[in-house]
Amino acid sequence: MSAAVNDVVARGRAGSVLRLRSARIALAVLAAIAVLAAFGPTLAPQGPLTLNTSSLFQGPSWHHLLGTDYLGRDVLSRLMAGTPLSVLTALEAVGIGMVLGIAPGIASTFLGRGFDFVANRVADALMTLPSIFFAVAVTAALGNGLVQAMVPIGVLLAPAYFRITRAATLEYSRAQYVEAAELMGASKFHLVTTHVVRKVFPNIVVTTASLTAGALLAVSFLTFLGIGVQPPEPTWGGVLSSDLDYLSQAPWAPFIPGALIAASVGALNALADAFRDRGGRGALALPQLAQITVRTGPTLEDANGSQRSVA
Amino acid sequence: MALNDLLLDDPSVATPAVRGIPTREDVLRIDDLHVSVHEGLATAVRGVSLRVGAGETVGLVGESGSGKTLTCRAALGLLPAGCRIDGGSVSFAGQDVTAASRRAWEAIHGSQVGAVFQDPASYLNPSLTVGAQLAEVLRVKGRLSRQQARRRALELFGDVGLHQPGRVFHQIPAELSGGMLQRAMVAIAISCGPRLLIADEATTALDVTIQAEVIDLLLDLRRRNGLAVMFVSHDLAVVAELCDRIYVFYAGQVVESGTVEEIVHRPRHPYTKALVRVASGGDFRRRHLEVIPGSPPQVGTYMAGCSFADRCRFALGPCCSGEVQSVVVGDQHEVRCARANDVELSEELLPV
Amino acid sequence: MTATAPAELRLDGGGAPPPLLEVESLEVVLGRGWRANKVLSGVNLKVNPGEIVGLVGETGSGKTTLARAVVGLVKPRRGRVLFDGAPISGLRRRALRAHRRQGGVQYVFQDPLRSLDPDLTVERIVGEGLAIRGDPPEEIRLRVVDALAQVGLDASLMSRDPGQISGGQRQRVSIARALATGPRLLICDEPVSALDASNRNHVLNLLSELRGSLNLPIIIISHDLGSLAAIADRVVVLYRGKIVEDGPIDKVFAAPRHPYTALLLASTPSVTESRSLRAHQLRLQEGEPVPLLGPGACVFAPRCPFALAETCSAQPPLTGVEPGWSNACSRHRDWPNLARGRS
Repeated sequence: MSAAVNDVVARGRAGSVLRLRSARIALAVLAAIAVLAAFGPTLAPQGPLTLNTSSLFQGPSWHHLLGTDYLGRDVLSRLMAGTPLSVLTALEAVGIGMVLGIAPGIASTFLGRGFDFVANRVADALMTLPSIFFAVAVTAALGNGLVQAMVPIGVLLAPAYFRITRAATLEYSRAQYVEAAELMGASKFHLVTTHVVRKVFPNIVVTTASLTAGALLAVSFLTFLGIGVQPPEPTWGGVLSSDLDYLSQAPWAPFIPGALIAASVGALNALADAFRDRGGRGALALPQLAQITVRTGPTLEDANGSQRSVA
Repeated sequence: MALNDLLLDDPSVATPAVRGIPTREDVLRIDDLHVSVHEGLATAVRGVSLRVGAGETVGLVGESGSGKTLTCRAALGLLPAGCRIDGGSVSFAGQDVTAASRRAWEAIHGSQVGAVFQDPASYLNPSLTVGAQLAEVLRVKGRLSRQQARRRALELFGDVGLHQPGRVFHQIPAELSGGMLQRAMVAIAISCGPRLLIADEATTALDVTIQAEVIDLLLDLRRRNGLAVMFVSHDLAVVAELCDRIYVFYAGQVVESGTVEEIVHRPRHPYTKALVRVASGGDFRRRHLEVIPGSPPQVGTYMAGCSFADRCRFALGPCCSGEVQSVVVGDQHEVRCARANDVELSEELLPV
Repeated sequence: MTATAPAELRLDGGGAPPPLLEVESLEVVLGRGWRANKVLSGVNLKVNPGEIVGLVGETGSGKTTLARAVVGLVKPRRGRVLFDGAPISGLRRRALRAHRRQGGVQYVFQDPLRSLDPDLTVERIVGEGLAIRGDPPEEIRLRVVDALAQVGLDASLMSRDPGQISGGQRQRVSIARALATGPRLLICDEPVSALDASNRNHVLNLLSELRGSLNLPIIIISHDLGSLAAIADRVVVLYRGKIVEDGPIDKVFAAPRHPYTALLLASTPSVTESRSLRAHQLRLQEGEPVPLLGPGACVFAPRCPFALAETCSAQPPLTGVEPGWSNACSRHRDWPNLARGRS
């Protein structure tokens, strides 16, 4: 009986995330994209650059599963081949954001008010910058490459990581078990590393999922504008852009890269939601059923706010 | 009742408790209630029967998971999500409300039954004055005019022992202490003249001196208005101070019921005896503190036979198999114990 | 050395070992500006080895603040705390950490659900204090097993996390954590309030045993007078930041000298109704005027049916009438008779 109950009442573990159907679908989509990111160009059925002037603007067919573009190139192959550049640069931006944001976020809770103040103001300043324009400006300075273009995107993602990590760290450092450790003479470093850091992971995971979606969108936008890519190098945004140029000849065409971008961004957001709903830790797993059922009203609280459920 | 006397002479016959005929006097009557939780996964209340007569104070005592709170919530039509009544009935003054609709409950709440819960602050709007909230109830439910509602609200605040009702009327919950808030909640609960007040752990979170005041208030209301009270608590001592009759809950069932005198001085169920021993200490002597070995079963993991058998030092073979019926052992005194009539149990002395 | 009346020193009796913990004229203010609230004022307390002291009071009494001030979570505005003769209330940062790492004073929180890290195993939790001060791992493990045994828990629990053990066991783990460093003083803040009746007495019996077997002084903050009566030696009653009575628990509970103590006792619900005084005799009843004495008056006066302007306009000092028993009521000889006369 209790095993069945265990199933019904979800524990805050990664395993429970997979029980959500939306998470499973999202992961499947992302797995496919990851494979493409790794092996896209080799898996492409035809050469992404192979011109075939005899079959321009063809609709989907056996030979060209997603049709051909304005130069007769196979759309499916172009999109598959374009995946690595789009995805990996998006991940690059997220990586930069994590490196620049997480450590200061955790550190600001124990490096004193001065550091905290400065870090917050830097984050404030960065958050005021419009990302795409900033990226364009930076590429003007650093040179027109997508890798360079994602660096400013990454820098602009850092404040989000900083804020979220800082808030989570602050909240968890107020826990009573942290106070208990403080009473045993723990240094702030010990408090943070032993008690707080691992609880912040779920927040970071959720943030990463949604920021990757944002970064992917930013990549698509930049390549759509033609930043950082030299044609005929395929990218998702580039394909979308050129499709729009030839809208009258092939009105269906932009939907395909659009759908691909939307699907990957949507999958990432769905995964982020799933993690947020189910992946939370720092709470005791499976309270007694007796306590679960009577969460109708408040629990026994004293002046300190500690709680006990009274059934 | 002659039949019971005959049967009681023969200790080998387990007498099923005589189910009373519902009378118009019973303000609340619960018969053989079964409540399941988590969409039917486990049964948390297993065949509970109780009654509250007009002007009586009745206490439901038990630990976490004993089912007393769910019984109370079922009686109010306020079962949490996922819980439902699987069997039995609940009736107010003869009117069956087991399957009552939301609208039916809206009519019953306030006019037939009022309720106060553990943390009054969370049941009040923090940004409105308590006077306004009481007046609102009086206008909407009591259909009084603005003026009348205000006057009646001040009266009610006075009735529940709030000093300076005029001042309290204009205060928001944050400005009032726990005790005053609980009194305000009682005022709201009785504002439309219900015959029954259900108090679910209403004094648990209060300081002991305030708790004593609230208990005195409830006794006072009973004396003045004939208000019946059903008081749910894990604290046997509080229940003993306040109530006329007590139902002792364990593992989803009522294991003993009777007058306070009987339960406290002549408990027959081993669990009740243990509870009484554990709760004793009101005379503040240095003593060895009694413990009840083991712990109550988790909801849904009930064993065959008596649920207390694994912790009971009087348990014998028959205790562990077959359902244990409730047996009448005295005037209004029932015990759910397979050995209820055994001399050994009934004569065990208590150091109370 | 202490700020109490000289009379106390005489009555203490020479030759007694010095108190392990001394709180001198402690004043604590929480909050700033217009929100400032004097939570404790002029508090004096002594705790000797091997005694359980019950700290009793209701909401706003300051009992938790007092405990927190003893362990340095709250800084006093005035007064000081001495442990083993050395002042600890003025310690900061490194010195404070060093003092804490010695593990002489340990604290047990009320709610084990909140005071134990749910992500750590019992072993790591209990051994945390030792790990913090850098003891070698093998030694830590031994001491953890030992501490668990002292609280009656089997070593097999070491690999579980708090979510997998019962409430009573969790609180015992909390106590084991406090015992692991070999403390000389234990402070327990409502150690059993979050447990149900069966478990409560298990833990209280355990504390009583520890006092005996380890000669460990324990300060227990509690609102449950009955439990304290069973195991405590002394009781200290706080009301709104002041100590109103301090004495041997059996004597105080049998015949309290301060009306607030009496009110607490009379208000405690009882299964058997044998009370000499009832609560309503000890509190202001409806219609009775609330005593209006100026600021600086006895802190309990606004609730006291026996307050008189002549005697209660100034906060009475805590004075001893008997060795080891003091109270802060200027009418302590008169009010019991008056109370018996009330309806």
